[in-house]
Amino acid sequence: MKRGILEKLTVWFSWAAGLTLLSAVSVLLGYLLLKGHEALNPALIFGETPPLRALLLRERVFDGLFPAVAGTLVLITLSIAWAIPVGISTGIYLAEYAGGRVKRALDAFFDVLAGIPSIVVGLFGFASAVFLHRHFSERIGPCLLISSIALSFLVLPYIIRTTQAALEGIPRDIRLTALALGATRLQNIFLVLLPKSLSGIMSGIVLAIGRCAEDTAVIMLTGAVASAGLPRSLLSQYEALPFHIYYISSQYSDPAELTRGYGASILLLFLCAALFSAAYGIRKGLTHFTLYRP
Amino acid sequence: MNHSADDTIKIRVSDLSFSYRNRPVLKNVTSDFAEKSITALTGPSGVGKSTFLMTLNRLWEDLPGASMEGKVKIRLQGRFRDIYDRSMAITELRKKVAMVFQSPNPLPMSIRKNVAFPLKLAGERDKGVICRKLEQALRMANLWDEVKDRLDDDARALSGGQQQRLCIARALILEPEVLLLDEPTSSLDRRSTAIIEELLTGLKERLTILVVSHYLEQVVRISDRVVEFADGSIVSG
Repeated sequence: MKRGILEKLTVWFSWAAGLTLLSAVSVLLGYLLLKGHEALNPALIFGETPPLRALLLRERVFDGLFPAVAGTLVLITLSIAWAIPVGISTGIYLAEYAGGRVKRALDAFFDVLAGIPSIVVGLFGFASAVFLHRHFSERIGPCLLISSIALSFLVLPYIIRTTQAALEGIPRDIRLTALALGATRLQNIFLVLLPKSLSGIMSGIVLAIGRCAEDTAVIMLTGAVASAGLPRSLLSQYEALPFHIYYISSQYSDPAELTRGYGASILLLFLCAALFSAAYGIRKGLTHFTLYRP
Repeated sequence: MNHSADDTIKIRVSDLSFSYRNRPVLKNVTSDFAEKSITALTGPSGVGKSTFLMTLNRLWEDLPGASMEGKVKIRLQGRFRDIYDRSMAITELRKKVAMVFQSPNPLPMSIRKNVAFPLKLAGERDKGVICRKLEQALRMANLWDEVKDRLDDDARALSGGQQQRLCIARALILEPEVLLLDEPTSSLDRRSTAIIEELLTGLKERLTILVVSHYLEQVVRISDRVVEFADGSIVSG
């Protein structure tokens, strides 16, 4: 009898937790749409500039979010590009090669890395920029390159952990299949284990993309500014959507500007959704390519 | 190297002991296995039969926490060789001593890619050779007629029995000299079991087969010799 009640309570609690989460997300999205829908038009992104001319980089956008969208996209691409090879390689090392004390030490180290607050990573990036400016070249300062490297540090643990967990979760039979057929350890990793783990690894990459897209603390210290135009080089400062949203929410001068801030938030959500879809598409294509191509 | 060994002996195991995570699994196992025959390894669960198979292709070396003592010699390409000798490349050994696992384990690939997978590992790129060997292996495993029109379908869509025959075809494609099977029919129905038993009986013309089996009737039906394991040692056979 007691057990029956406990089971029912658990089911109810699980339902309630799920529903609460769903409602919270719906309320958030609804609120953003309610507040920002008026700003959702091509002018929000391109301002007075004709969209095609802006997209072809023929004309500069002054009063739209186009430079911030471009800055965010470039920033995410760069950060993920640094983090993927290092993260996946480290995950492979931890799951397939490291053992005993080394593994325990590295596990602890990556747990610490995962727990570092982003503002501390930002400060470290800023300090590095100052150091490089003083000792190497005056051209180096807070910039896209420093931001992307700092962000990649922030998201590395996600990619390392998901790669490691995906590889370690492969059943023993599958793990031994290729080895029993004469595969070397490396062939086993690249031809069987990694393709089989793509789904898990990709979820880590998706998490990393989300984190790169939303993080403000790191970029505000390492190169994001309110007005810089399109990113010109790795060593230039840049605009980014989360920084723009932060900037507007703290310094807006009239209600119209705040509405544009809500619009920018919706735009950031769309951008993330588009990147997630692209990541899943790539995963599907990559799995098919690695496992099924004739 | 033992050149005086009886020509009909394919595998010679001497004083083989094995432990996993400091627990002894095999104790001083010594036995010879004849060429082109089927030997059934029987005994209760957990007495070391599957582990014994893994010592014949050194697959245990990929399990952390395992250690082995003793000698295993296998006649490969006419020459008796110590498979634990440094000169023996592990990948070459596993191409000659193939293994099929208890549950069918097709890789998440098409039927064609699954069966041709060992050829890819071995670096074979000639499509003509791959096609010829693929057909040959599938025919040997009595599977060709059932899959020849859908070679590019996912292998996991096949029935359990077909999947296990696919795994046998995959093991046969590199033309091994020894085939190790770890309870190959334990997850299959009666009809699929009968097909695989018939297949194994046909294969012993070319191969030396060691099969772990729990089913007494099956052991009597297909094997030339029965080796019974108990508590990590051979107690009869």
